[in-house]
Amino acid sequence: MVPLMPATTVRELERELAQLRDASTEPGAAPRLRTSVMTHIAWVPERWVEAATGTLAGLAERHPSRTILLFPRPEDDSDALEGEVDYRCFVRGGEEREVCSEVISLRLCGARASAPASVVMPFLVSDLPVFLRWRGPLPFGAPELEQLAGVADRLVVDSGEWPEPRADLASLPSLFDRIAVSDIAWARTLPWRAAVAELWPDVREASAVRVAAPESVALLLGAWLETRLGRKVRLDHEPAGEIELVEVDGREARPTRIEPKTSSDLLSDQLELFGRDRIYEEAVRSFSSEPT
Amino acid sequence: MTEVVTAENPLLEGLRMRKPPEPFALSIFGASGDLTQRKLLPALYALALRRLLPERFGIVGVSRTEMSTEEFRERMRQAVVEHGRDEFRTDVWEALAESLSYVAADFGMEGGEEPLIACLDELDETRGTAGNRVYYLAVPPKAFAPIVTALGRRRSAKGWTRLIVEKPFGHDLTSARELNDLVHAYFQEDEIFRIDHYLGKETVQNMLVLRFANGIFEPIWNRQFVDHVQITVAESLGIESRAGFYEEAGAIRDVVQNHLLQLVALTAMEPPIDFEAEAVRNEKVKVLRALHTPGAKHVVRGQYGPGFIEGEEVVGYREEAGVTADSQTETYVAAKIWVDNWRWADTPFYIRTGKRLPRRETTIAIQFKRAPHPPFAVDSEGGLRPNVLLIHIQPDEGVSLAVGAKVPGQGLSIRTVHMDFLYGGAFRLGLPEAYERLILDCLNGDATLFTRADEVEEQWALVDAMVAPWRRDRPHFPNHAAGTWGPHAADELLHRDGRSWRRH
Ligand SMILES: NC(=O)c1ccc[n+]([C@@H]2O[C@H](COP(=O)([O-])OP(=O)(O)OC[C@H]3O[C@@H](n4cnc5c(N)ncnc54)[C@H](OP(=O)(O)O)[C@@H]3O)[C@@H](O)[C@H]2O)c1
Repeated sequence: MVPLMPATTVRELERELAQLRDASTEPGAAPRLRTSVMTHIAWVPERWVEAATGTLAGLAERHPSRTILLFPRPEDDSDALEGEVDYRCFVRGGEEREVCSEVISLRLCGARASAPASVVMPFLVSDLPVFLRWRGPLPFGAPELEQLAGVADRLVVDSGEWPEPRADLASLPSLFDRIAVSDIAWARTLPWRAAVAELWPDVREASAVRVAAPESVALLLGAWLETRLGRKVRLDHEPAGEIELVEVDGREARPTRIEPKTSSDLLSDQLELFGRDRIYEEAVRSFSSEPT
Repeated sequence: MTEVVTAENPLLEGLRMRKPPEPFALSIFGASGDLTQRKLLPALYALALRRLLPERFGIVGVSRTEMSTEEFRERMRQAVVEHGRDEFRTDVWEALAESLSYVAADFGMEGGEEPLIACLDELDETRGTAGNRVYYLAVPPKAFAPIVTALGRRRSAKGWTRLIVEKPFGHDLTSARELNDLVHAYFQEDEIFRIDHYLGKETVQNMLVLRFANGIFEPIWNRQFVDHVQITVAESLGIESRAGFYEEAGAIRDVVQNHLLQLVALTAMEPPIDFEAEAVRNEKVKVLRALHTPGAKHVVRGQYGPGFIEGEEVVGYREEAGVTADSQTETYVAAKIWVDNWRWADTPFYIRTGKRLPRRETTIAIQFKRAPHPPFAVDSEGGLRPNVLLIHIQPDEGVSLAVGAKVPGQGLSIRTVHMDFLYGGAFRLGLPEAYERLILDCLNGDATLFTRADEVEEQWALVDAMVAPWRRDRPHFPNHAAGTWGPHAADELLHRDGRSWRRH
């Protein structure tokens, strides 16, 4: 558990942020320039804490932003808000200019865990887009997800983190009209999709795809092929820790160049997208229309 | 606005010292009240700490409550400890406490002013306050008349006299005029200092500097470049313990009439000839006169119901202590207003204020028109928003500019980048509280940041016109949940124009 200041208030945290900002400026000097491109909210249930903080480390430089880490603890007896603020400045390579980012960590105890929007709203950077990284499976219909989806412009998930990807992918389209969705598992398939596209036109009539990869990746690749080609394609899935093989009707797709991306890079890429990903949405919608 | 003393003392030349105010005797009416404790004494202490008060002065607390000077000093000491923004220094406090006295007086009774007059005369003798008088009316409006009348009749024969009047200044145009007539019967306009503490905030002054000291903004500060302006005065707090006052006033009288319209005036005004009180106020009043009365469908009122603030459940307005169960009082107002002049024709100013909104925020957002033909790929569209100049007044103070910039890396991906200059605002120790600034300005006789009689009347005339249609229909209250950005109709107000409120 991340150690945080016990029982605090939004106002107290605002005050601390302002003081940190002040302390980083020489007395009498002009106020420091803060550059930001977004507010990044991360919803991090207990078991994802380590992964989330690791990803964050590589993120700040590419995306000067305010990050709000939310640690829900609904099982706590108290309804306290615990929190901490941190101000980090990085010198951009070769430039004199420093980039500063703020990280606000909040633990939402008891009932507060189901009213997170009203806790983050005071902290959103004015006028900038809000990205919401949801760690672990999505609790469809739960107030915390409903509320935060109302606040954020883009939801970033990793369906690879879901224990039951097929069922959850089937529920996902209920969010599409309210918020743009990015899936990091889907982003990982990009070089493979490009490689499959290289097989055109031989795969025009494809009827089967063999995928050795984590389950959600395999499901997404199968659904993608079906929706793109507009025909039924059988999926043969072999479990694997990462994407090892994609074979369409016995033809192996060979990505020309697979840069192994870090989790920070993958998240960073998603934070540069704004619009809806129509191709992804179509693929995912096929899970809810299909009889299981 | 900063004066430099050089004339009398050649040794001070080049030292750029602010002239200390002349000796004065300050009487605070409502000395047993909340404002005195929370704002006035802490402000006086902060001024004393910074050596901004003259050597000779006296402060008299006045109210009807019986207490000794000793008790009053002790209460004020606690007030400074609790509400002061600086470290409490015993030596500074003791020097200030020595100047404090207390007079229990009821001006509602015949001859009620005698004890105060006697005390002030004595101060002239013992503390050399030279007949200079400042009267601070921190009492409810119903208590004004007897106090103003008595003070007016018993003006000090020597020195100058200044009268500080707290808001609210009237509750409609008629009462504001009556109040102006009352004070004008005994005081000149340049002796009257009507407080709007928003004007004491650094950023409001910075706004003038930003606009008129920088060549780059003024040329684009007009209808040709500005698409529209949004001014937000949002509170996340409810009405606390002020139900009695709030039930009468509502959001329109509590905030729109004064703060919001002043912010509109400062945003829209023409450059003043100089930063002297009359020049600045002349320009502000021109804007207020040019405000077109919004039609009924351009004004939206709301009242909050139960909801969530900072993750906690809060009650609706009608459930607040002291509020009637079917209260029609508005806790939210939004309006679209036009400044009918050459500079702003066809440029709407959207204003909104409310209690129990999602966050505490006072901002002025100047939304510029979109670049006419961006020669970039379509996929940058989502990430590229029109330029916005944001002036933050609360809780942070400062300015931000949103500009389109290239995302580092390959390709020409463009997104909106915010560049902020934030001063730390209300929380920064180095920034003076509004009341410090205002009290000091009054002691120096500088009325720039105070509201003039004609401004107040223009503001009320507009508010009266806005509320007139309200008498005809009963609103369906509550019409938004606490912790949300107001009623649906407020969103419609902008959607009809193809715009939307800033989301946060
Ligand atoms: N508090 C704030 O933050 C705030 C902010 C802006 C403006 N204001 C304005 O400042 C004024 C005072 O506010 P407050 O919050 O300090 O109110 P408060 O706490 O209720 O205090 C009112 C003061 O006025 C005195 N008073 C009440 N009725 C009086 C009467 N009929 N004759 C003479 N004195 C009377 C009271 O003293 P005795 O009963 O002992 O005489 C008390 O000292 C009001 O006009 C208010 O609108 C206050």
